[in-house]
Amino acid sequence: MQEKTPPAWGTPPDTAQEQPEAAPADGAYTQWYEVKKGDTLWKIAKEVYGDGSLYPEIFKANQDTLSDPDKIQVGQQLRIP
Amino acid sequence: MKLKSVFAGFLSLAMAAALLAGCANQMEPAKKAIADIEAAVAAAGPDAAQYIPDQLQAVTTQVADLKMKFDQKDYKGLLAAAPALLAQAQGLTAAAASAKQAAEAAALEAFNSEWGTLAADVPAQLAAVTSRVGILSKSKKLPAGLDAASFAAAKSGADEAKALWDQATAAQAAGNMEQAVMAGRQVKEKLDAAMAGLGMSAG
Repeated sequence: MQEKTPPAWGTPPDTAQEQPEAAPADGAYTQWYEVKKGDTLWKIAKEVYGDGSLYPEIFKANQDTLSDPDKIQVGQQLRIP
Repeated sequence: MKLKSVFAGFLSLAMAAALLAGCANQMEPAKKAIADIEAAVAAAGPDAAQYIPDQLQAVTTQVADLKMKFDQKDYKGLLAAAPALLAQAQGLTAAAASAKQAAEAAALEAFNSEWGTLAADVPAQLAAVTSRVGILSKSKKLPAGLDAASFAAAKSGADEAKALWDQATAAQAAGNMEQAVMAGRQVKEKLDAAMAGLGMSAG
């Protein structure tokens, strides 16, 4: 895994990179988070919601690309509902 | 000689009387002509002032000129100019109605266009804000950078936006596009503020 740029809040995925297939509901107001080295869904949930235990919200919103909440990849774009 | 002078005096008097009588004969028609024109201007109502101010101004200026002629007892000149001005004044009502109709059609088109933008934009924005507020409401602790007051303001803003959007869509369904757009604009303002307060990026 390679560390990428810092998280870009609300920035849509860079289409030049290999990206997960966008869910139909994605639009201008979909909030995005780019996974960085050392991130877990728990950590991301703690950062964006203040409470790591809310990580299932992020997992549910990304089930089209995540099959396991423990398996996220650096550079991956996650929807933050 | 004396008889001739008396006769000349009588003749002058008679001519002056005839002239005065002639003027008096024209004064009433002149007065009526002005009244008719003013009635035609009044009939055009406030729509004329709102939608065809230049045309209205042109007529009222000419009415003032006629009144000046009346004051100068130029009844002949007044009566000569009156028919054209009356026709112009009578045309104000139709011209104002036509201009009003055109203005309303243009406004409706603009409202329809703006509504199209709002209807394509607001539901997604409302859903994004509502989702975030809902999740943050379950959080045991707010994230860094978001204090309780800001969150409460964003939450109430989202609630108000939801209620206003319901009103906007109801107004649109009822065909009241102006009311729909006005409410829609308020929704956008509230949602933009809520997103900013929550630290969300606006599309």
